[in-house]
Amino acid sequence: MNLFLRAIAILRFCFYVGLILVSLGSLSGMFLVFYIAKDLPKLPSPLSKIIETPQTQIYASTGQILIHLGERQAVSLDMVSKNFINAILATEDHLFFKHRGINKLRTLKALYITLTSPSGKVEGASTITQQLAKNLFFSFKKTYARKFKELLVSLQIEASSTKEEILQTYINQIHFGAGAQGVEKAAQVFFGKTALDLTLPEAALLAGLPKSPTNYNPFRHYDLALKRRDIVLNRMVQAGFISDAEARQAMLAKPELQHEQSDSRTGSYFLDALIRELISKYGEDVVYHGGIKIYATLDTRLQSYAQQSLKKGLENLDAMMGITDGAADHPQGAIVAIDTGSGAVKAMIGGRDYYESEFNRAVKSRRQPGSGFKPFLYYTALKDLGFHPATVMTDKPVLIPVKGAADWEPKNFSKTFTGRIILKKALTESVNTVAAQMVEKVGPDAVVRTAKTCGIESPLQEVYSVALGTSNVTPFEMAAAFSVFATLGVKHEPFLFWRVEDAYGRIIFEHIVQEKRVLDPSITYQLVDMMKSVIDTGSGKSIRQLGFHRAAAGKTGTTDNFNDAWFTGFTPTLCVSVWTGFDKERKLLDRNNIGITGGRGAAPIWADFMMNAVNSDPERDFPIPDNVHFETVDAVTGCPPDGQGEGREQMSVPLKTEQQLCRDEQ
Amino acid sequence: MARYWYEPLSYSEWFKRIFSFLNIALFLLTAIFFISEFRFDWFEKLVGSYLVSTNEVRPETGAIWEIGKQTTNAHESLKTMVNKNEDIRQTANAAGSFSELVSGLLPGEWVTLERQQFKTLYLSLEKSSSLKIIDPASLVWLLNGSDLDRIFCEGIKGGIKIFFIDRENRVIKEIELQKEDIIEIENADKPLAGILTDIAGFRDRIYPARIFFDALLKLPAEIIPDLIVNPEALLEQEGKLIRVGIFNEAVNGYIKLGFEFEAPGGEQVVFLKGREWAVWQLSLNLKGEAK
Repeated sequence: MNLFLRAIAILRFCFYVGLILVSLGSLSGMFLVFYIAKDLPKLPSPLSKIIETPQTQIYASTGQILIHLGERQAVSLDMVSKNFINAILATEDHLFFKHRGINKLRTLKALYITLTSPSGKVEGASTITQQLAKNLFFSFKKTYARKFKELLVSLQIEASSTKEEILQTYINQIHFGAGAQGVEKAAQVFFGKTALDLTLPEAALLAGLPKSPTNYNPFRHYDLALKRRDIVLNRMVQAGFISDAEARQAMLAKPELQHEQSDSRTGSYFLDALIRELISKYGEDVVYHGGIKIYATLDTRLQSYAQQSLKKGLENLDAMMGITDGAADHPQGAIVAIDTGSGAVKAMIGGRDYYESEFNRAVKSRRQPGSGFKPFLYYTALKDLGFHPATVMTDKPVLIPVKGAADWEPKNFSKTFTGRIILKKALTESVNTVAAQMVEKVGPDAVVRTAKTCGIESPLQEVYSVALGTSNVTPFEMAAAFSVFATLGVKHEPFLFWRVEDAYGRIIFEHIVQEKRVLDPSITYQLVDMMKSVIDTGSGKSIRQLGFHRAAAGKTGTTDNFNDAWFTGFTPTLCVSVWTGFDKERKLLDRNNIGITGGRGAAPIWADFMMNAVNSDPERDFPIPDNVHFETVDAVTGCPPDGQGEGREQMSVPLKTEQQLCRDEQ
Repeated sequence: MARYWYEPLSYSEWFKRIFSFLNIALFLLTAIFFISEFRFDWFEKLVGSYLVSTNEVRPETGAIWEIGKQTTNAHESLKTMVNKNEDIRQTANAAGSFSELVSGLLPGEWVTLERQQFKTLYLSLEKSSSLKIIDPASLVWLLNGSDLDRIFCEGIKGGIKIFFIDRENRVIKEIELQKEDIIEIENADKPLAGILTDIAGFRDRIYPARIFFDALLKLPAEIIPDLIVNPEALLEQEGKLIRVGIFNEAVNGYIKLGFEFEAPGGEQVVFLKGREWAVWQLSLNLKGEAK
């Protein structure tokens, strides 16, 4: 009896205490609701409005859309594969259509586990609505206050939206990793298809990602992603969405990933440079959230050729150097193509593989151009000293005293000296001693001035060796500066976009192609003729050997230590600069330990690109100015051949009307 | 009256007490409370409805609103840019003179000028002055014969640049106009208070009006219209013509002539431009008159 009475008493006590506690809990809950409600975030109406941010679109000059920025590709539920909807419901919240924002039993269970777990493990029980509330309004900091607010917001979401609206908003904003937000974007990023076309294995794989987008990133951890996918499929079976057989069949499938655009990064060095410029001009908000339209200068055809040529060229370089696929360090490269008639950048590749390294070597990497800088010196000498291509110099050991420093004693690449030589031949063969003598005469400041006039913006040291390319420049600058030679002295500022419009097509900015004559056309023509010889018979002759036979001029560049190999050259319409080298201090040496020059490393890339790039253009040569005529001279004496120098090379040189042959300058 | 609780003395007593009306009611109410909550989710609905009712007065905070604000900022920035461009466009295309056009364009600002507006501004200038901007033949070619697509004006420090642009956005012709030059061009035919001898460039070539006109009227009749190209300014000027000066420099094939009037408000000099070769003929006559 006593035992029975005691039990009754305990029961009674528990009941009343429970009742009081529940009452107090309810009262304090009500109080909390009123207290916290005023600080809760306002909900937009309709809820889907939050994902309707306008996209900024960037178009190529050829009309294709290159990229959408600030993109949230929202899709309605009927544009999403049923497989995915079932998979995400089974994984995240299979009772979604039955609750009003919280799954009470699951919450109580989670609360019990959280409170009783000795390890302090926090059990999650968030419904899709709660997750949506958290993703939209709250930080990921785990606090009870945040949890409570999140719960309240989810109740409001349920009270103000239909289940379909909530689910639609949810699937359009969840993060799947690899920068993909929203199911449509994720379907495109991972599988290159729309959300509507997702198969069961693909849908299940995607539905498993939001739990841990980084750890299950299929691009990096494909096996883990598949394991997670199998868990999703099992849950779909448990939730009754699919049969066991269907799940087993789906588990056998290995969805093929789309590797072309493996994440939401631009995937393009050109676009990175363009976006950076746009941001500096208009600010991030306008660029990413303004829904503007940008008409870029990029020619997708040329960009594709540039990509292929650089890839092929660098692979050849690997083979030349004996670098295998698995090696830690591969040579890098950059290529920039500029339309000489306008300054429009038609193609830009800033590295071997964007997804391995986003560092844009085309515009950010300043490297020594070596002999690639000599054309600035030659122009200066032709202009300031009255030299012409047949002016005779002497290729001999040179020692130039430098004030406050050691004497400068430049050496030829060949380590030999040829004696008397005309300028055209000296540039063709890239003779350093002749260049050194010229820079001593004109002064390094004059050479720097010419380079800057042509568009070199990097700081250049006014030292003698600047003429041999010891000051660092970027491939972009080299392409821009050499395009001034291509137009015989007319400078066009290089630019990346033609026009910017707002969402309604109103013009915000327009690039006007302005011409500025900065170099003398006749002297520039003489220089261009000498640079043509570089390609025809000189250090860049590999270009002709590779089959590029159009009128073109250029200059190779190799640094003393073989760290950099350049070729910058142009046709009358397109100027292209190619750089190859290692990011780190490392020489470009072939298997026989012989240094790789610009002629071997960069020129073949240039040739391969140009053969495709100008293939469909009409052939044309550089226009000869009216006051220029050609004479054939002996490459040693600079005089018309007199029959005495049998076997000596003869060269055709352009001379201005007032210029005379056989005037030895030394 | 206090009633003290006592322990039931029998099982029936216990039974009665446990299943008393109060206990059953309390238990049922509690059960209904929980069951109805699980069944109908009324608590969630109640709280949800309350929060919906307070939604409008709550702050726009949280990640998603931040993105919304960025969009708003972007739209405001764009709107400002577009409105500014539109204002400039309207001002430029309503400008009555090149100086008004220059005043409406700050450095870095730009506008596409309608062809008709450019023509109007150009034709509003006195013929000899308009040559300083662009010669008529070039303008005719640009406007009617070339590949001109539009006329683009950009504000620069102290003036404007006018670009004649083809369909490929290439500049066919570029004109730079400094504000002070434009003002001088536009005011070329405006009277100036003062006398000829105070104006540099006329000294030593100032003639009494009688001598000047005697020499002028001796010229063949077909030359005289080339000497006094726009006589309106002279005809409109009040007062007596005292002296006439010939400027010592020719610009664009014209030479400035200064006509000094003794007007009620003081001396005024009215400027006209005569064709260089006609002024040269006149000068020969004047030398003869002077002798």
